[in-house]
Amino acid sequence: MVNTPPSTPILILGGGVAGLAAAVDLARRGLACTLAEREPALGGRARDFCCKAVSACARCGACRLADLLAEAAARPQITIYTQALATSARPAEGHGWQVELAPAGPAAPLPIGPGQPLPGRVSLAAQAVILAVGPQPFDPAGKSSLGYGRVPGVISALELEARLVQGAWEQRPAPAKLAFIQCVGSRDQSLGRLWCSRVCCGYALRLARLLKASRPDMDIAFFHMDVQDYGRAWEEELAGLRREMRFVRAMPGEVAAGAGGPEVVFALAEGKQMREAFDLVVLSQGLGPPAGAGALAQMFGLARTQDGFLGRAEEPVAAGAAGVFVAGACQGPRSLTESIDHAGLAAAAAAAYVASTKGAGRG
Amino acid sequence: MRLNDGDPGFKHQVAAEPGGAGLKACFACAACTARCPVAGHLPEYDPRRIIRLTLLGRREEVLASPLIWRCSACYSCAEVCPQQVRFTDVLTAIKNLAARAGCAPPAARAGASLLAKHGRLLPVGEFENEKRAKLGLPAVEERPQDFQRLLGMAPEGREPGEGPA
Repeated sequence: MVNTPPSTPILILGGGVAGLAAAVDLARRGLACTLAEREPALGGRARDFCCKAVSACARCGACRLADLLAEAAARPQITIYTQALATSARPAEGHGWQVELAPAGPAAPLPIGPGQPLPGRVSLAAQAVILAVGPQPFDPAGKSSLGYGRVPGVISALELEARLVQGAWEQRPAPAKLAFIQCVGSRDQSLGRLWCSRVCCGYALRLARLLKASRPDMDIAFFHMDVQDYGRAWEEELAGLRREMRFVRAMPGEVAAGAGGPEVVFALAEGKQMREAFDLVVLSQGLGPPAGAGALAQMFGLARTQDGFLGRAEEPVAAGAAGVFVAGACQGPRSLTESIDHAGLAAAAAAAYVASTKGAGRG
Repeated sequence: MRLNDGDPGFKHQVAAEPGGAGLKACFACAACTARCPVAGHLPEYDPRRIIRLTLLGRREEVLASPLIWRCSACYSCAEVCPQQVRFTDVLTAIKNLAARAGCAPPAARAGASLLAKHGRLLPVGEFENEKRAKLGLPAVEERPQDFQRLLGMAPEGREPGEGPA
């Protein structure tokens, strides 16, 4: 028999950087919490992100996952369930939520990192809930003119990250000529995605600089509309990056298969059409609302932003339902470090909510 | 180029024409120019540049330009535009303003005359109708009245104000 805990002060859904940061923040305040992650391992998308430091730290935040995992595992206040999926929720009497958790798929044979697989169906009473389910990266196949899934040599930015994490180019030669195409699935009315994803300029330029550092003769073109502010001192960085790679202020009309690799069709500033072959074309996919945003919004009666993210755009962490808070990029596009900071804000709001309801309705 | 020399009302005038409203959504990303088959043969034809000049209020430069009449109306630009500007329709709005300003090229005026006279750009005569009859198709009649009204032109291609036919 499994003795399931009947209640937790705060339930966190999602064990990526935002969920982990919220759990750690609450634990540091001495508050107990339960973290439920759908996958067999914690860490979310950050697991596949590589360190982008060249001569100095690039402040990409990829390394902070390891710190968060270590601290979450060491804090006794945090109960972690992996392979746990929230299936339904209803407001509890007085305040708080009664949330049903169910195992997501068969239990993984070996535990991967901290946490234990959800032992079975669990009905958990929580005084507050923090949603930290992360964003859904845009599937570049949805922008068919750019050839993803159709033209060999066209990959997504997440696939490039994974290749670098796995050290794929340490064994065989790295591509000599590479193109980044920005705003794939962002600022695109034809796809119904009007928002700027805010992180793509930063990650693409940091990846480009990382590649240049390992292979200075690599020819990199950066196709963009304009470069968004991606963090501290970005303008100073940009001046140096402009000397290291080609900044082409044009969105390609097409990426076509060619004998010498994928060919990018674009216009030069003076209007001349160009067709240039690259070894590799990287599509900088944007961030969208989580795939389960609709189901979660229905489950908790949440508000959604104009773009479909959870919560309200004008309120930082309120989700539009009493006792429910949002943390990280499920509320709007955020980088790793921004998600971690945002989770701290959500944890503070949830802790304040729990403190304010103490005694009320429980007398 | 002095920005103060531009006509700030020009873009609003274009946007107020049917099909012209998309103009103001342009990000200047040049996907249209990249995909345009006309630009591939005629490098000085640059949809992004036409939109920028319009937004900057370069009224005379845009309306008098022979390039605005080069569009083949294939809508490739509309297909790739992330902002759904529909440049082909914006250019139609610009061309309408140009025609009203007396900047239409002779070929466009000749086309208008044909429409006013025959109701079609290709006149249909007995030769075509005999062929249609052999195929069991009804004869095509010329009905130029609608076009005369739309174009403000009297029959036989006379300009308005030239008196009754």
